Amino acid sequence: MAPRTRAESFLPLTPPMLHTLVALADGDKHGYAILKEIARRTDESVRLSAGTLYALIRRAEADGLIIESDERPDISLDDERRRYYRLTPLGRKVAAAEIDRLEAIVEMAREKKLVPRPRSV
Amino acid sequence: MSPARRPSFAERVFHALVRLFPFDFRADHGRDLEQTLRAQHSEARRAGSMRALTRLWLDVARDVFTTAPREHLAVVKQDVGYALRSLRRAPVFAISAVLTLAIGIGAMTGMVAVLNTVMFRPLAVDRPDQLISISNQNGMNAYVSYKDLQDYRAETAVLSDAIGYVPRVATVSVNGSTERITFELVTDNYFSMLGVQPALGRLIRPNEGRAAREAPVVVLSYDYWLSRFGGDPSIVGRSVRLGGQPFTVIGVSSRSFRGTESLLRVSAYVPAWMIETFMSWASQQGTFEDRSLRTFSMLGRLRPGVSLEQARAALVVRASLLARDYPETHKDVRLRVIPETQARPNPQLGAVVRVAATVLAGLAALLVLITSANVANLLMARAVSRSREVALRAALGARRGRLARQFLTEGLTLALLGSVVAIPFVMLAMTALRNFVSNTTSAVAFDADFSLDVRVLTTMLAIAISAGVVAGLAPALAACRADLGARLKSGARETEHRTGGRMRSALVVVQVALSLTLLVSGGLFIRSLDRARHIDLGFEPEGMLVATTAPALQGYDFEKRLAFYRAGRERIAGIPGVEHAAWIQFPPLGIIGEAAAVTPEPRPSDPDWRAPMASEADISPEYFETARVRLVEGRFFDERDRAGSTPVVIINQTLAGRFWPGQSPIGRALIADGDRVEVVGVVQNGKYQNVAESPLGAIFRPVEQTSPVSASIAIRSSRSSVDLAREVRQVLALADPEVAVYDVRPMTEHLDNGNAFFPFRVAAFLTGLFGSMGALLASIGLYGMIAYHVSQRIREIGVRMALGARAGDIMRDVLARGGRFAVIGIALGIVLAAGVARLLEGLLVGVSPFDPLTYTAVAGLLVAICLIASLVPARRATTVDPLVALRAE
Repeated sequence: MAPRTRAESFLPLTPPMLHTLVALADGDKHGYAILKEIARRTDESVRLSAGTLYALIRRAEADGLIIESDERPDISLDDERRRYYRLTPLGRKVAAAEIDRLEAIVEMAREKKLVPRPRSV
Repeated sequence: MSPARRPSFAERVFHALVRLFPFDFRADHGRDLEQTLRAQHSEARRAGSMRALTRLWLDVARDVFTTAPREHLAVVKQDVGYALRSLRRAPVFAISAVLTLAIGIGAMTGMVAVLNTVMFRPLAVDRPDQLISISNQNGMNAYVSYKDLQDYRAETAVLSDAIGYVPRVATVSVNGSTERITFELVTDNYFSMLGVQPALGRLIRPNEGRAAREAPVVVLSYDYWLSRFGGDPSIVGRSVRLGGQPFTVIGVSSRSFRGTESLLRVSAYVPAWMIETFMSWASQQGTFEDRSLRTFSMLGRLRPGVSLEQARAALVVRASLLARDYPETHKDVRLRVIPETQARPNPQLGAVVRVAATVLAGLAALLVLITSANVANLLMARAVSRSREVALRAALGARRGRLARQFLTEGLTLALLGSVVAIPFVMLAMTALRNFVSNTTSAVAFDADFSLDVRVLTTMLAIAISAGVVAGLAPALAACRADLGARLKSGARETEHRTGGRMRSALVVVQVALSLTLLVSGGLFIRSLDRARHIDLGFEPEGMLVATTAPALQGYDFEKRLAFYRAGRERIAGIPGVEHAAWIQFPPLGIIGEAAAVTPEPRPSDPDWRAPMASEADISPEYFETARVRLVEGRFFDERDRAGSTPVVIINQTLAGRFWPGQSPIGRALIADGDRVEVVGVVQNGKYQNVAESPLGAIFRPVEQTSPVSASIAIRSSRSSVDLAREVRQVLALADPEVAVYDVRPMTEHLDNGNAFFPFRVAAFLTGLFGSMGALLASIGLYGMIAYHVSQRIREIGVRMALGARAGDIMRDVLARGGRFAVIGIALGIVLAAGVARLLEGLLVGVSPFDPLTYTAVAGLLVAICLIASLVPARRATTVDPLVALRAE
């Protein structure tokens, strides 16, 4: 199987996958940190289970959306020498493409007045 | 965290849970996953709420038990995809491996289907597991009398109910067309005990047919109703002629119900009470009163919660009470109480059939092992030529465990493909076997349904998985041990790893040993068949033709039957070229025969004396001349022996010696089946029920005095049997067009299809087939091995030839290598075969399980096969051009 390189070919992403990619957007993180970040940012409404997360990381790694980061934080900060993951340029493109896709849907729903436009932008 | 700290309970559970994930997953993320779980756990504990902890545990459990299987499946999918792609790239290899496995798996599945039918498939009735067969294990008659049946049925503490049934054959006439069917006379509780519902109309009612002159009724089987009456619902209430009498159809049994005999096709059921009203058989008069008339096959239903042993104990006590109350008739009764599944095809034969079927399935399992070893060898040969690819994958990060798993997946994929390929062939073979079994006789409707049901297919899957694992295991182990780095470094040349080489050699040796075992088993059965054919049967079957007729099927009475027998014999004796012709009730060694308890007069005074069973046949006076049976003393029957004159009997030497040792039995009397008969002659001994029997007493009574319900005409003639058979049918039709004539065939064919040789023929055929397949596969394995060996040593051979080695030396070396495997395999095989042969002992006739001739012949055959298999690559080795071989480097 030739690796997929076009961002669109990965769409749509599952919500856990999108959350994971977004969580990595501002810096390398290890698995537990990704879980915490997603829970925190969604007010605990999205809670990934650990097994699910690592299965997802595995798939994202195989697809080239993330890679294991070889830059480690300070040894003192490095928690039990966990593996850290980094968003690849492809991963970044895929996440952006998914968000564009979602935005287009939201826009369509607004035009049809399914949801109100936000008062202040 | 200090390293010495003992892991907490939660940590140990997390560790165990992580182990549920596939190897690669664990290797990549196992530690992180564990750490994350631990972190989540301590967080929840810090929160201090029981709810948070519970939620975490539930969440973890759900997560692991859904994610881990999914990850495994993903790996399997990936492996299977890879296996399929790599097989597609090597179609010749793939096809030969799949076909090889299909042979083994198919053969074994076929045997499993047979085992299923004769031992496992439950009857299509309510709670079949509760059914037990109750029979008499002493003497030749395994059945029970009606009165005894009712007494056993009264053991209500252990049995909730019990039924009796008697299979019979009769002609059915509907709208002028006539055919013979097998039907059963059944006790009135038959359907209710079995829990069978009518598909149409109603079934038999309690006491139905008991009153004198009650109109005869019949229940049709669903299949018969469908095939003969096209499933016409207006059949209920209509009349059909069964055995010449009008019967009213009262209903059709349910679609799934196929009777209580796994090997018979029963087309109709008649209340047993009508046994007397519709067939004027003199001998059936006392069916419901006479305890010596053991007529019924019996099945009981265990009361819920009662074990087989408890039921057996209670019934045996009842049997001993019967023996006390009726010493005359019940002294020899020894009750056999076994599950219904162990009483197929009947309680007497059940044990032998089970042993034979199990042995054959065991031999088929050896064939599966050979095919798996063969495919393992193919896989390893491929692994060597793929070693660089494997090494490359390893270098790219595939772990050894993963590579081993890949080989196992390839083995499994091949085996599963093999079983898919095998299924249609097995189905064809089972249909052929079913026809083969039904064609052995038309006296009864044999019908063994060997179809592949869920049970067989599940077993087939298990066989395929085992075969796949065996095939993939050796290459997988070799892959685990292989020094992958060395392979990459070795450059262009693909070298066989030493472990792999040894394992391949071992596989070839195992194949040779296993195929020797199969061939020895086949050889023993073939020798056994040959011995059986040379056993003195006490008559001369060559040059004899038999044809069976059944005038009673038309409802003929005593006189009408005799009239037919006389007219028929007279016409046949008049056919040009017929030397002798005579009636015999049942030709010897057939599937059906009769036996009677016989007592000399006066009865021996010993209180423990029991009446022995003797084979019984009614004959017309010319029989012994026709069959060339020697008269030892007295006379044959003649025109003096008629209905109304003194009842007479001719006995064989065994019975004479037993009753009147050292004296002449002529003029003495004996009681047979309740009749007092006078001995007028003694004839030489013969075989009556099967060729392996120990000398058995036999009595012959004149047809003129007994008028049997059916009889076969035995004809001696030097004419070709095909011509004669046609003429025999014609003249019998002239004698009486109404009487059914069937199984017209040479006596030798009757013996081949009957108890005489049929079992030996089947065993010899199947084991011979398995053995030849095994030997063929082993020779292919050896060939592949030697050919590969030669191709690996082209350079070395080239150097040796350049240094002056002669072609003969090279050839000798290569042959010696093949010979070494053959010798080791044969030596191992002889030990294994001797062990297997011990199990066969009870199934062999006149040949020792260690018969030296068989072992020598088979070993010689395998040596020859191995030599031929090595010869081709050996010849190729001698044609190596040193220059070409060296330049290639």
